[in-house]
Amino acid sequence: MKEVIRTEILYDLTNARQILQQEDPQDVTELKELSDHAIDDVAAHKDLDLVAITVLIYSLYKIGPCILGKNRSELLKGLTLAIESLQQYQFGRYNSAVKGVYAIVQKCNVKVKEHLDDIMHAAKVKKGAVLLGKGLSIGQAAGLMGLSNWDLQVYAGKTTAISEHKENIPVDKRLKIAFQLFGIPIVRSKR
Amino acid sequence: MKKSLFFDTGPLISLTLSRLLWILPKLKEHFNGHFYITPAVKRELIERPLTIKRFSFEALQALKLIREGVLEVYDEVPQQKAKELTALANQSFSAGNKTIDVMQSGEMESISSALVEESTLVTDERTLRLFVESPGELQKLLEMRFKKKITSDSDSIRSFSQQLKGVPIIRSIELVSVAYSLGLLDEYVPEQKKGRDLLVDSVFWTVKYNGCAVTEQEIEEIKRLLLKK
Repeated sequence: MKEVIRTEILYDLTNARQILQQEDPQDVTELKELSDHAIDDVAAHKDLDLVAITVLIYSLYKIGPCILGKNRSELLKGLTLAIESLQQYQFGRYNSAVKGVYAIVQKCNVKVKEHLDDIMHAAKVKKGAVLLGKGLSIGQAAGLMGLSNWDLQVYAGKTTAISEHKENIPVDKRLKIAFQLFGIPIVRSKR
Repeated sequence: MKKSLFFDTGPLISLTLSRLLWILPKLKEHFNGHFYITPAVKRELIERPLTIKRFSFEALQALKLIREGVLEVYDEVPQQKAKELTALANQSFSAGNKTIDVMQSGEMESISSALVEESTLVTDERTLRLFVESPGELQKLLEMRFKKKITSDSDSIRSFSQQLKGVPIIRSIELVSVAYSLGLLDEYVPEQKKGRDLLVDSVFWTVKYNGCAVTEQEIEEIKRLLLKK
């Protein structure tokens, strides 16, 4: 693992743990902000470990309020183990710890276990759309998140991720190109 | 040389999801040329979704168009040019000291092929279009959306857009506009006042909602042009 990635993941995990340690376990909206921060680094570094942590943090945000009591303390222990392992460059132990955190999330309740795949998929799609919104192409954003273009295009089309921009080619010029290709005069009245 | 259109994955996904894929065979009759896809587009359009339950029927619909010869797989992709353009694109912008890979190599196959065949590219992809047509806008977008400082390599940007600026680009929404103008959608005009307005509005918004990067302002402008008396 590259040093810059290790530093970034440490930052993300430490902050996630801090957010989950706060008094009101229902209030995990900061996790969303944290995953939004992490996605910038996914775009810059194209690193799978970062993708996994970004998706995990967003998943924790989605299911956070249901992780209570013993599960929450186990989760915090798991995050601490992951942080300490990474601080000590123990990458094997770090991977096991992250796997353990995913297992704790699954244990949270039966419903979550059933839908964890959906949650993870939704988290990938959501984060993929954020990358798209930042200016990456659909193929690049989907590829980074391990999605197909179909997954991302279906979602992105219904958001503002791909339409908040300024076009430099006037619309009538592009239409004219299309009409000329098909041999029809531009702007033919149909009424 | 027989004329041709190169399709990126995006517009074919947009048309499939909008239940408009059926316009392609009819458009091809009017076009009188080739409708090409590259092997990378075929993988993302058909092979990959065939492994995803949610999209496998959509993939079969696209596969049918290949079987019927409406879409042809273009096997002479200029791989060296595609690699060169991908490298230029992905060294153009950096966040901190890391370059941002804005494009994927497979995505460059279509435009590289269109370039050597002197064809038009059909893509709904905003990033590629902005990069070719107005790289300054792409830079603005990246600068606005990334929290880190974005720096750009103006030589790479210039070289990329200079090489590709001669490739005309259209989107799925322009193909739908052509279909409308050819009367292919006439069966859907409702029998009511301003029925055509409703049809055009409906069909454009469905294409937009299914992934065509078109702004609301552009939709209004195309509507105005098509419905002009």
